[in-house]
Amino acid sequence: MAAGVAAWLPFARAAAIGWMPVASAPMPTPPPDNRRKQDGLILLNVSGQKFQTWRNTLERYPDTLLGSTEREFFFHEETNEYFFDRDPDIFRHILNFYRTGKLHYPRQECISAYDEELAFFGIIPEIIGDCCYEEYKDRRRENQERIQDDEDSENQNDMVPPDMTFRETMWRAFENPHTSTMALVFYYVTGFFIAVSVMANVVETVPCGTLPNRVKQVSCGERYALAFFCLDTACVMIFTVEYLLRLMAAPSRWNFIKSVMSVIDVVAIMPYYIGLVMTDNEDVSGAFVTLRVFRVFRIFKFSRHSAGLRILGYTLKSCASELGFLLFSLTMAIIIFATVMFYAEKGSSASKFTSIPAAFWYTIVTMTTLGYGDMVPKTIVGKIVGSVCSLSGVLVIALPVPVIVSNFSRIYHQSQRADKRRAQKKTKLGRIAARKSGGTSAYLQYKSNGLLSDLIDEASKAAGQALVCKANPMFDTHHNHLLHCLEKTTNHEFVDEQTFETSLLEVSMVKHPPHSPSLSSGSSSQGLSCCSRRNKRKSFNVPNSNMTGGHRNSIQELSTIHIRERPITNSRSSLNAKFEETVPLNCKQPYITAAVITLPTPPVTTPEDDGSASSPDYSQANIVRVSAL
Amino acid sequence: MGALMVIFSLQKDQRRKRTDSVEDELELSAVRHRPEGLEQLEALTRFNRKELQILYRGFKNECPSGVVNEDTFKDIYSQFFPQGDASTYAHFLFNAFDTDKDGSVSFEDFVMGLSILLRGSVQEKLNWAFNLYDINKDGYITKEEMLDIMKAIYDMMGKCTYPLLKDDTPRQHVEIFFQKMDKNKDGVVTMDEFIDCCQNDENIMRSMQLFDNVI
Repeated sequence: MAAGVAAWLPFARAAAIGWMPVASAPMPTPPPDNRRKQDGLILLNVSGQKFQTWRNTLERYPDTLLGSTEREFFFHEETNEYFFDRDPDIFRHILNFYRTGKLHYPRQECISAYDEELAFFGIIPEIIGDCCYEEYKDRRRENQERIQDDEDSENQNDMVPPDMTFRETMWRAFENPHTSTMALVFYYVTGFFIAVSVMANVVETVPCGTLPNRVKQVSCGERYALAFFCLDTACVMIFTVEYLLRLMAAPSRWNFIKSVMSVIDVVAIMPYYIGLVMTDNEDVSGAFVTLRVFRVFRIFKFSRHSAGLRILGYTLKSCASELGFLLFSLTMAIIIFATVMFYAEKGSSASKFTSIPAAFWYTIVTMTTLGYGDMVPKTIVGKIVGSVCSLSGVLVIALPVPVIVSNFSRIYHQSQRADKRRAQKKTKLGRIAARKSGGTSAYLQYKSNGLLSDLIDEASKAAGQALVCKANPMFDTHHNHLLHCLEKTTNHEFVDEQTFETSLLEVSMVKHPPHSPSLSSGSSSQGLSCCSRRNKRKSFNVPNSNMTGGHRNSIQELSTIHIRERPITNSRSSLNAKFEETVPLNCKQPYITAAVITLPTPPVTTPEDDGSASSPDYSQANIVRVSAL
Repeated sequence: MGALMVIFSLQKDQRRKRTDSVEDELELSAVRHRPEGLEQLEALTRFNRKELQILYRGFKNECPSGVVNEDTFKDIYSQFFPQGDASTYAHFLFNAFDTDKDGSVSFEDFVMGLSILLRGSVQEKLNWAFNLYDINKDGYITKEEMLDIMKAIYDMMGKCTYPLLKDDTPRQHVEIFFQKMDKNKDGVVTMDEFIDCCQNDENIMRSMQLFDNVI
């Protein structure tokens, strides 16, 4: 609950007088108000720096150190003050939190020191206000990443844990070449062979002089065909072995196969094998030649060896939409100018601009200011259009490029920040919602603690048995009393989500006879006893309980299915038994699937009298009632 | 190229400055209210100095400008009833506290209302409750007014209740109320009927004293 709102609780309670005349049930007695002492000043001495504030200010947040009785541990009798041996500069912000309800993060403070102070004083960082929250989270993340990096680099320098399997060792060697000498050797060997293979592909096409009985120049590939073939085979064998080893060592083979690097590996070695298979067939030799082109993909295998290549690839991928826009605008301009050029040059004789697609080439060459000169306009109109084309080409290309560059950096940082904020917001709201629902569940917990004043004795017995009775701070007591008054006014009770859901289901199964107003007074008195009986109930009971006895039995039979596990040995009746006689699930009976499980209730006599014996006996788990859901 | 960007950014700044000045004007015209002196409030209400001091500190903390407008009021009140929707009831409460009908509850309104609720006689409290229910302040509580109030109260419960809230539960509650209060069965409850009936009802009398020790 927010800070100053605690100060408004007296107002909310006073306003509850507005419910009194319409209340359908008498109100519970208010909790004793033992805070009769006057509100005084508290002196807080933090490492010599003195702070003073009202006692009420601190007690706004009873779940922190300063707001609870925990501060008594720091009370210093000699000087009659509370002494804390902590940082006074950061304490200033913490005290301001109590005063204003907003926690701020000072930018000049170290993030870990701040976190420690918050933890000491029992304040969760999620309360930090929106103005400072992003900064706080950023700094925290950076700090954690730095710690993580330090840890990682430490880990890598450590000895390999001896209990790693051979497979894990291999994978580690592949991913981090500098962990062991073997891995380093492997890394360099593969790098060398990639380079050799690429060089071979390149050199193979260089003209190498003429064969003795031929006139034409032949390429080195054809001249030393065997040598190149052996080299290629060796490289491909090494690559294949490497790929298979990686595949074997990968912790998740499917993920490995899907990854980009493995696709590159496969594409690099496939042409060779396909070539082996296809050498005899002359018809597909054209396709075979195409396949050799794919051998150049081996150069991409260098990206395992170079982080820069990986970053470049990621850059292009993340910048795809901007590049697409560039392409689109270029295409538009090309089509426009090509069309105009074609029609302008249509008249001239021996024009190279035979069709609009033919003019595309001219437009591209002109717009990118290449200007090969293989196609030139001859008419005056054509030349004018050509010059306009080259000028606009400069603009069209120059405009998106800086935009792409700045867009890239902006979008990159922005998306990172948006994701950050979204994740932060989600966790933040989650925790705040948890505390909010903690408020309502706190009230339900309070009820189930049996602290309702009606049946104090039974409740305290029950409470003593099962639940730990914690001393509620005064604010919570008063707030709970307020909510209790509202329940009494409306004669309805707060329940939690799951019991509400179960009740909805049950209601949909069972048809209710219509309530008449005359029954409601009867039901209200039953409501009282229901409430008291349900002191320790954690689950929901059949909503039929509010009906008078006449309807009850028949509908009870409709809506409940009993699973009898052992023969009944006590006087508990079966179908007509009331809901409060269900017992806890006994673990020794594995075949029970109870949809509704209730805890033992304190022995309370029920006002209903339909002849059923209602003396619960917890010692024997006999019947588990399962509601038809 | 760079010139284009510069021109662009200049224009944005100008626009921002213009909106800033508009916001500044709005800020200056925001209400700042200072309450009457302590002595006067002591005379008007039944609180002593210390209690007034405590009340004002809490009030000023939540509303630094010195007045509560209806939205803030609804926010604050809704925080006490997280399960349901307290805004309708808060609206009625606001109207009950805003005695001078100026759309905001100042500290005087606040403390005078509290004085009646916490230190007033039973007659005064019942008077206040009647005023709360009588939405149009015509001296009669009609069934429609009561139904509005009742629905607002039930709204605060939210939907996760036991037993399940049905649609006509508020209406039934209103019927019970009118059966009890409307002596001459004319369909409206006057102030006298209301006070008479409440004074004869033990439960209501007892519950009126419930919050006397709040401050």
